[in-house]
Amino acid sequence: MNERTVEDRLREEYFALSSDVRRVVEELEAEVRHCLVPLSSSLHKYEKIEVTSRIKDCESALGALRRRQEGATFDPDRADSYTLTSLNDLAGVRVLAFPRSRWIEADTTLRRHAPFSSWTPDPVLEDEIEEPLAYKYYGYCSRSTKLRAELQIAPMLIGLFWQVEHSAVYKPAPQLKGLLVSLEMQQPLRGVYKALRAFETEFERLVRRDPLDKP
Amino acid sequence: MLTVVGKKQLLEDAGFAYSFDRLSYINREARKVFSLEFVQDHSEAEIKEFIDQSVPPGEWRFYFNSPPSEAVKRELSAIFR
Repeated sequence: MNERTVEDRLREEYFALSSDVRRVVEELEAEVRHCLVPLSSSLHKYEKIEVTSRIKDCESALGALRRRQEGATFDPDRADSYTLTSLNDLAGVRVLAFPRSRWIEADTTLRRHAPFSSWTPDPVLEDEIEEPLAYKYYGYCSRSTKLRAELQIAPMLIGLFWQVEHSAVYKPAPQLKGLLVSLEMQQPLRGVYKALRAFETEFERLVRRDPLDKP
Repeated sequence: MLTVVGKKQLLEDAGFAYSFDRLSYINREARKVFSLEFVQDHSEAEIKEFIDQSVPPGEWRFYFNSPPSEAVKRELSAIFR
């Protein structure tokens, strides 16, 4: 009989972890929504804060762990050393905020509250762009001591771009994830981020300068 | 930025193509593989030097930051062959 592959072991681990992941994501989403209530209730009509949660599916989790290995290949001789608990984002919550000042406020608000105040910052950075593209933190919820969860706080347009990119490109063909990190894609991606950021910044500047009532 | 463009061009001109499944630059004819991490962590001049190195017939050369195990080499050379 053939020996079990690294992928076989990881699939087994995924299903063993799945009820923990569900509990963690439920707790995380509830905490985030609770912390953001004061901010959400003070928004102008044109402002928006959205909270979504997701559990990484089994094959995406395996793919993400494989891509973390150099050459994106598992070493069968080290099969026991791989674990899905090394991923930070099996359970994740994303907060999208518009405009950019609300994004900063959402981040500041969440960072003041436990458990996020003790989580590890892991901002999404991009060369040539000073400010992070999004704030990201990972850490543990009270429901599990073995699973880390991820909280991402992104400006609305950049977050929506990631969502569209994910559902249009990577959902139907997850193997294309590796394209994104190639040297070739760095320049076009940077162009998208700069354009979205410029749009949000200018939009907010004009709204704030309007001498009449806020829309 | 110039370095990234330079490395990209250097690899392309030397016949390397990016494998998005293995996050590596591969040249089947030259039997060489550069991992993305290796390309990011080395200068253009170093990469040029590695591109120019000769590989014994029938062998594959893997330019990785952490040398891959024999099992990984076997798997990758079987895929790239």
